Amino acid sequence: MVNSNLFPSIEATGGESSTESRRKKPRISETEAEIEARRINEESLKRWKTNRVQQIYASKLVEALRRVRQRSTNEPDKVVSVAAREIRETADRVLAASAKGTTRWSRAILASRVRAKLKKHKKAAKKSAGNCKSRKAAATETNRIKLPAVDRKLKFLGRLVPGCRKVSVPNLLDEATDYIAALEMQVRAMEALAELLTAAAPRTTLTGP
Amino acid sequence: MDLTGGFGARSGGGGGPYREPIGLESLHLGDEFRQLATTTLTPDNAGGSFTALLELPPTQAVELLHFTDSSSSSQAAAATTGIGGGDIIITPPPPPPPPLHSFGGTTLTFPSNSALMERAARFSVIATEQQQNNGNNNNETPTSSVPSNSSDRVKTEPPETDSTMENQSLCPNQTNRSGKRKDFDKKVKSSTKKNKISEETEKLPYVHVRARRGQATDSHSLAERARREKINARMKLLQELVPGCDKIQGTALVLDEIINHVQSLQRQVEMLSMRLAAVNPRIDFNLDTILASENGSLMDGSFSGTAMQLAWPHQAIETEQSFHHRQLQPPPPPQQWPFDGLNQPVWGREEDQAHGNDHSNLMAVSENVMVGSANLHPNQVKMEL
Repeated sequence: MVNSNLFPSIEATGGESSTESRRKKPRISETEAEIEARRINEESLKRWKTNRVQQIYASKLVEALRRVRQRSTNEPDKVVSVAAREIRETADRVLAASAKGTTRWSRAILASRVRAKLKKHKKAAKKSAGNCKSRKAAATETNRIKLPAVDRKLKFLGRLVPGCRKVSVPNLLDEATDYIAALEMQVRAMEALAELLTAAAPRTTLTGP
Repeated sequence: MDLTGGFGARSGGGGGPYREPIGLESLHLGDEFRQLATTTLTPDNAGGSFTALLELPPTQAVELLHFTDSSSSSQAAAATTGIGGGDIIITPPPPPPPPLHSFGGTTLTFPSNSALMERAARFSVIATEQQQNNGNNNNETPTSSVPSNSSDRVKTEPPETDSTMENQSLCPNQTNRSGKRKDFDKKVKSSTKKNKISEETEKLPYVHVRARRGQATDSHSLAERARREKINARMKLLQELVPGCDKIQGTALVLDEIINHVQSLQRQVEMLSMRLAAVNPRIDFNLDTILASENGSLMDGSFSGTAMQLAWPHQAIETEQSFHHRQLQPPPPPQQWPFDGLNQPVWGREEDQAHGNDHSNLMAVSENVMVGSANLHPNQVKMEL
């Protein structure tokens, strides 16, 4: 797949060592923990705000969308929702690729597509997730009627961030931080792209496809 | 003698990261003593010599050392530690040694429990690199006993023991590179020490956790506290990231906000992807023309170009169609795009947005796509403007 060409070129570049050290971070006392966490998080968050990252993401997104369109023109008459899902997944993959494999959620996004392709399931990820959900829900119900509110929310947050269900709490918070920053960048880029395309599209229809 | 060796090692080790102007102020020492102590505690105990630490006139230091040699270990420890001014344990010499009289203005009160202080003296001997393991085991007993005794002492005592505890924990910090030794680290006074220690402890597999004054000091609560602080630090960062979370108190509500934010972002992405899907079929992506013209105009245009030049080769490799431009060689553009004319209005338009520069290049890139795809330059110019 062309996407597989996309990934090696990106994954080959070194990841952020700060994130790796963050995984093995020892227990540090209070102010030190704050200083460490702040420093590392700011470094990682700033990378989602740089110009360069935005450019790279935008150009890759354009290219990926073009490819999707190429494929979809071969199979005409796709419902908008199906196309939307494809575009969203493409955008997520491009976003995960931009993360250069340093974060858990990015790896999970990239891996989920590979897994789906291997199994040839359309909704393999959703199915397995559904099973896990039912199993987990049953387990928690049998153990306790209601977990403490904070724990419930942390679990929910783990479900929202891809690939972070069984992750420890501090790592989960780290992943969520990076994920939120990446999502914001994705929204900005897609919004700009959509604006451009919708602005341009009415004119192009004049000349016709 | 072991003791002097121990002192040398400890003062050398403890003198490095150890500063105590703040700690000393609370010691209620006489002025001259305070001066002495503050001047002594400068971070240059590379040699670790006792005289350097004290900055006493050599004669007095020699006397002290001599006194150490001659008298009992605990008394020597007392003398030297008393002079060290919080840097070392203060032990009571039953006969007040002559050197101590020079510090007559002090309000140091020595604990009367000499047995305890002998243990404390052993403390200092033990805290050396060679005797790590023994020291750790032995240290735990005096440390546990000292806090309990501190309440009995006169008010000058607890600050002194605090600083002593800190100092002793410093050495184990640096020497113990394996295993958890949380029990050492008791009361902490200043955050400056923590900052200095942080540089060293980053490399250690286990880092010592410091308890504040008056907090429980058993291993479980220390571990709990460390864990909680890590989590709280990250929650604070998340709060700053998510808009509107600063004013919320309480972890649960903040988590609610974070979850809402993530969900809203994901929904926005879905909406945008639907918009893009709706828009896409209407656009004719003409790959070869686009890429050729884009590459050409990229070279001509005033991009902060390295990023784009790096990005485009990636795409060049990835395209399914045969694309022979492996490098960014600008072919003569088939059409003369008014590229510079396009750039400025785009950038001008984008200035309004919050992320002005973030989008300027993006817009220009996407514009090139659009321009190439639509194959209409005058119309394109009108559109962009």
